[in-house]
Amino acid sequence: MEGARKKIGVFLCKCGTNIAGAVDMDALTAWVEKQPDVAWVRTNELLCAPTGKEFVKNTVESETCDSVIIAACSPKMHEKNFREVAGEKGFNIAQVNMVNIREQAAWVTPDKDQALEKAQSLIAAGLERAQYNVDLDKPEMECKTDAAIIGGGVAGIEAALMLANAGRKVTIFEKDISIGGSVIKTEEVAPAMECAPCLLAPRLAEIRDHKNITVVSNAEVTDVLGFFGNFTVKATRRARFVTAACIGCEACFEVCPVWVKSAFHLGMGDRKAVYTAFPGSVPAAAVIDKENCRHFTGEECSACKDACPFGAIDYEDNDEVIEVETGAVIVAAGGGDPDVSQLFDGVAGRENNVLAMPEFERLAASNGPTGGEIVCADGSVPKSLAVVHCAGSLSETGLSYCSGICCMTALKAGELFRKKIDGGKVFNIHDRLTLAGTEQQHFFDKQCEEGTVMLKTSDLSSVNIVMKEGRLQVTASGVSESVAVDMVVLSTGMAPSPSAERLVELTAADLDEYGFFRPGHPILQTTSTTIDGVYAAGSCKSPCDVPTAITRGQAAAGDVLSRLIPGKKLELESMTAWIDGELCAGCKMCIAVCPYKAISFDAEKGISIVNEAICRGCGTCAATCPGKAAQARHFTNQQIEAELKGVLNG
Amino acid sequence: MAKPKVGFYWCASCGGCEETVVDLDEKVLDVVAAVDIVFWPCAMDFKYSDVEAMEDGEMTVCFINGAIRTTEQEEVAKLLRKKSTCVIAFGSCACMGGIPALANLTSRSEIMRRAYKDSPSVLHDENGPVPQTSSSAGGVELHLPELYETVYKLDDVIDVDFYLPGCPPTAALVETAVQTLLSGNLPPKKSVLLPDKALCVSCDRNSTKPDNLKIDKLKRIHEIKADPELCFLAQGVLCMGPATRDGCGYPCVKGNMPCTGCFGPVGGADQGARMAGALGGILEVGEKQLDDALSGMPDPAGSFYRYSMSSSLLGSSRKGDAK
Amino acid sequence: MGEFKPEIVAYVCNWCSYAGADGAGGQKLAYPSSVKLIRVMCSGRVDPQFVMEAFRGGADGVMVLGCHPGDCHYRSGNMKAQRRFRIFEMLLRQMGIEKDRFLLDWVAAGEAKRFVELATEIHERVTALGPLSLTGSVERTVMADG
Repeated sequence: MEGARKKIGVFLCKCGTNIAGAVDMDALTAWVEKQPDVAWVRTNELLCAPTGKEFVKNTVESETCDSVIIAACSPKMHEKNFREVAGEKGFNIAQVNMVNIREQAAWVTPDKDQALEKAQSLIAAGLERAQYNVDLDKPEMECKTDAAIIGGGVAGIEAALMLANAGRKVTIFEKDISIGGSVIKTEEVAPAMECAPCLLAPRLAEIRDHKNITVVSNAEVTDVLGFFGNFTVKATRRARFVTAACIGCEACFEVCPVWVKSAFHLGMGDRKAVYTAFPGSVPAAAVIDKENCRHFTGEECSACKDACPFGAIDYEDNDEVIEVETGAVIVAAGGGDPDVSQLFDGVAGRENNVLAMPEFERLAASNGPTGGEIVCADGSVPKSLAVVHCAGSLSETGLSYCSGICCMTALKAGELFRKKIDGGKVFNIHDRLTLAGTEQQHFFDKQCEEGTVMLKTSDLSSVNIVMKEGRLQVTASGVSESVAVDMVVLSTGMAPSPSAERLVELTAADLDEYGFFRPGHPILQTTSTTIDGVYAAGSCKSPCDVPTAITRGQAAAGDVLSRLIPGKKLELESMTAWIDGELCAGCKMCIAVCPYKAISFDAEKGISIVNEAICRGCGTCAATCPGKAAQARHFTNQQIEAELKGVLNG
Repeated sequence: MAKPKVGFYWCASCGGCEETVVDLDEKVLDVVAAVDIVFWPCAMDFKYSDVEAMEDGEMTVCFINGAIRTTEQEEVAKLLRKKSTCVIAFGSCACMGGIPALANLTSRSEIMRRAYKDSPSVLHDENGPVPQTSSSAGGVELHLPELYETVYKLDDVIDVDFYLPGCPPTAALVETAVQTLLSGNLPPKKSVLLPDKALCVSCDRNSTKPDNLKIDKLKRIHEIKADPELCFLAQGVLCMGPATRDGCGYPCVKGNMPCTGCFGPVGGADQGARMAGALGGILEVGEKQLDDALSGMPDPAGSFYRYSMSSSLLGSSRKGDAK
Repeated sequence: MGEFKPEIVAYVCNWCSYAGADGAGGQKLAYPSSVKLIRVMCSGRVDPQFVMEAFRGGADGVMVLGCHPGDCHYRSGNMKAQRRFRIFEMLLRQMGIEKDRFLLDWVAAGEAKRFVELATEIHERVTALGPLSLTGSVERTVMADG
C-alpha cells in the first residue's frame, strides 16, 4: 500500500463505568490522538444506546475519515449494528470495525496501567489493520425455488406435499415402480397402532393429483450437478411398457401367463410379469417385467395388450432421460434391511418359519401375500411366536449400534399375532429394552398384561434357534423356560440405505462411519447434509420411527421454503475466499481442504476456482495455499499481519 | 565499443554454480565472446587486488554465488558491490542460504566439534587442534577468516539487484539471464529472474494428481517403488513442488525423484510455513494417527528449508552473532 | 534490570474460542495482560507464517485457539489447523525454540475458565523461559542420531 495512508476515525466508548472505570480514558484519548493516521477521536458514554448510535451517525457525517474504529465491547455484541448505522452514511461494512477493549481489556485486567497498555495495543492493532480493509460486495444470486426429492417414502412424500402446497414445483424420483417406501409395506405403526396404509393412502392420492408434483418412478438418478439454488438433476426413467392411461384395473394381470416371485412380498408371494406393487399404488400404471415377459423373451404373446380396455400397453416404450432444473435436492432414500439369512446356522428363512421382521410385516399386512393372514410356510396357522430382539445388531458382524426403534416393532409383532390368531402365545427374547418416549413404556406394559412373555437373557450372542421335531426350539443363556414355537421373528435393526454410497458419489455429500448421511453440523444443522442445498430426510440420516421420518421431511421442506424464496435472490456470504488466477499454479492443495467442497479445478485453465456461492469464508484454503493465491476477504494475510504488527509494537 | 565487464565470485559454495556456466556447452563461447571476464577466481588466476584496482561500478554485472559464512566472504562481497553496477545473487546459496545454511539448525561449536573431533574419519583427540582466527607457527602470524555463528544470504550483507536461485540455476536460465542483462531491458530491481508460480504449473505429473488429494501417511522415497508417472504427493512422498518456484524444467521429477525445493519459495514467503500449511491440508488423519502419519518426514526443517534457511523467518539467525 | 514482561499473541477463532475469551470478560475473570488476541474466523485460517511472524516480530509466546474437534463452526477447519501445526511444532523443536512457547488448543464458547487457565499457563511458562531470542536460542545438535 504505497502512497496515501487511510485516515481513521476512532470512537472510544466508556460503556458507563465498565470501561472508564478500568481504563484511564483521558490518557487513552490523548494517546490515540497522537497515533499516526488518526483523523479524529470521539469519546462517548454508551455508544450502543440510541443516543450513542445517533452520535456515531452524526459524527461520521460531519467528520471526514476513510475508515472507522469503535473501541468498545466485543464485536460479537454490536459490530453488526454499528455497521448498519455507519452504513446509512455510506460506509462499507469493511470500513467499520470494532476493537474489543471491554471483554478483553477492561473486564479482565485489574491493574489500571496494564489495562491501559493492553487497550492501546489492541487499538494500535485495529489502526494498522484498518489501512488494509478493502470494501466488500454484497453478492446476490438468482436461484430456483423448486426441489427435487430422491426417494418417495414417507419422508419424501411429506416434504413434497409441504413444498408443493406452498407453490413450489416438486419432482419425486423413485427407484421402485411406485411410491410409498417401507411404510406402505407395514400394517400398523406402534405404539398408537395406527393403520399405516390408511394414513398413507390419502397422502399418495394428494401427490397423484397435485399440480405441483411430478413423480418419476422406476427411475435412477444419474447426475446431481450444480450447487445450492442452481441444481440440475438427471435421471433415467426405465421403460414401463404401460402408459399413463392405465388406471390399475388389473385386467391384464388376469390373462398374463407368467408368474414371478414378488419382490414387494419379499419373495413370499408371486405376481405376474405385468404387475403393480399393490392396488391403489401411485402411480397407478402397471409395469411389464421385461426379463420375464414372454413378449420380450422372444415368444409370441400379447395377452395383456389384448385385454387392456384403455390401450395402455406400449411394447415400444423406451428408457427416457429426465432432466430437472431445481433449487434444492432432498435425499429421502430410506433405510435398509440388514441381511440376517446366515444367522443361527442358516435356520433363518421363510421355509423354516423363521422370518426377518420385514418379512413378518409383509405377512401381517392386508396388502401382503396372504391378505394379512399369519400362516406358516406349509399353510398351517402357527399357535406360538418367539420374537428375538436385536437380531443382527450390537455385534461385530452385524449392525454395531442400537437402532432404537425395533423394540417397539418387536412388541408390535406380538400384538398383531395375538389379534390375528386366537389364543396365540408370544415370547420375546431380549437382553435389554429401548423404550424411549412417553408412550413406549405403556405400550410395553400393555403387551405384558395381554400375555407377551418377556424372557431376558444375559448374553445376546447365546441365543440359538434349532428345528426339533417340527418345532422351533429357542434357547438363550439365563432363560430357563423352554421355548418351542411354530414361528420365530427376528427383530432386525435398520441399516443404512443401499443407495447411500451411490448417492454420496452423485451429490458429494458424506456418510458417517455407519453409512448414514452426515449432517452439515451435528447440532446446528442436522437437516442439511455436508453439501449446501442437499438435504437428507427420514431414515437415511439414522434409524428412526415414522413420526420422526415425517418430521425430518417437513424440516427439510421448511428449510428450503425459508431460504429459496420466489422473487428474492440468494444473499451470499460477503467474506468469501477467492483464488487469484494469475498466482494459482494449479497445485490443488486447496481443493481437499475446503470443508464445503467449494473449490474445484478448472482443467482447461489449470487453476483452482472458489465457488463463492457456497464458500462460507473460513479461510482454511488461504492458510493452505503454498503460492498465496488463495485469500480470504476481510481476513487477508495483509490485514492479519498488520494487526499483528500493531499488537506487538503498539 | 568496450565489452561489458563481468565478474564471478564464490562465497560458501560447492562450485556447482560455476559448473552450470560450463554447462552452457558451446554457448559459453558466445558468452565469453560477448563479455570481458575480469574476475573469476574459480576458473582463472585473479587476485583481490585486481578488484581493488578497479573503478567503482566498473563491472557491469557481477554474479556472486555461495552463502556468507565468513568475514572474508562478507568483505569480498562488499568490495564487489562497490566495484559493480549490478550484482546478481546467483544460485540458492546466495539467494537464500542454500545447503550451507542448514548449519543454522546447529551451532558453530557443534560443527567444529563434529569436523575436528567427532567425525568418523578423525582420530578423536579432545585436546586436538581446532581452527583459530589467529595463531603463530614458526614465528609467523597466521590469520584465518572468522566463521560466523550464522549463515547469511547475500542480501543480508550487500544490496542485491537481481536474484537467480537454483542449486544450481539451470544452464538455460543462465543463458537467458545473461542475455537479459546484456540487452539492457532490465526487469524491476530486486526481481527474481523466474516465474512467480509454483512448480506444479509446469510439471506434467500435475494432471495425475486427483482433484481431491488426500493422503493418510507420509512416506520416504526409498520406502516405495515410485510410480514414474504419478504425482509424488499423491503417492504420499514429500515433494516440495507446490512451495517452490517454477522455471527449472523439473529435471528431478523427470528423473523420478521428488522436487526438493531448490528454487526457493514463491512470492518471498517462508518455504516451511507454506509447505506445513499445504501438507496439513492434504493429510487426512485423526489425531491418534497423526504422529505416525508424519513419521515418514523425520526432518521437516531440513526438508522444507534445505535451500532457504537463511530466508526463513525462524532459522535465519543463531546464537552469539558477530554481526 | 526490570522484571521480564512477555508478549504473547493469541490467534483466536471467532465462534468458540473468542466467545470463550469474551466469557472470561463477562465473568470478570482476570488473566495476564500480556496475552493479546487477534480474531480470525476459524483456527483453520491461521497460517503457520502468522505464528512465525509473531515470534520474529517480538512475541515470546503464541497461542492458537479453536473449537473442540467435532464442534468447528466450519466443520473441520480446526482439524486442518491441528495437522499443520503438528508439523509446525516439529519445526520449532528443530529450530531450538522451546516447546512451551507455542500452544494449539481448543476452547468452547462456554469455557471462560479454561481460556483463563490456558492464558495464565502460557504466560507463566513463557515468563519462566525468558524472552525469546532467535539469535540466542537453545544450543542444540540436530540429527544427533545421524
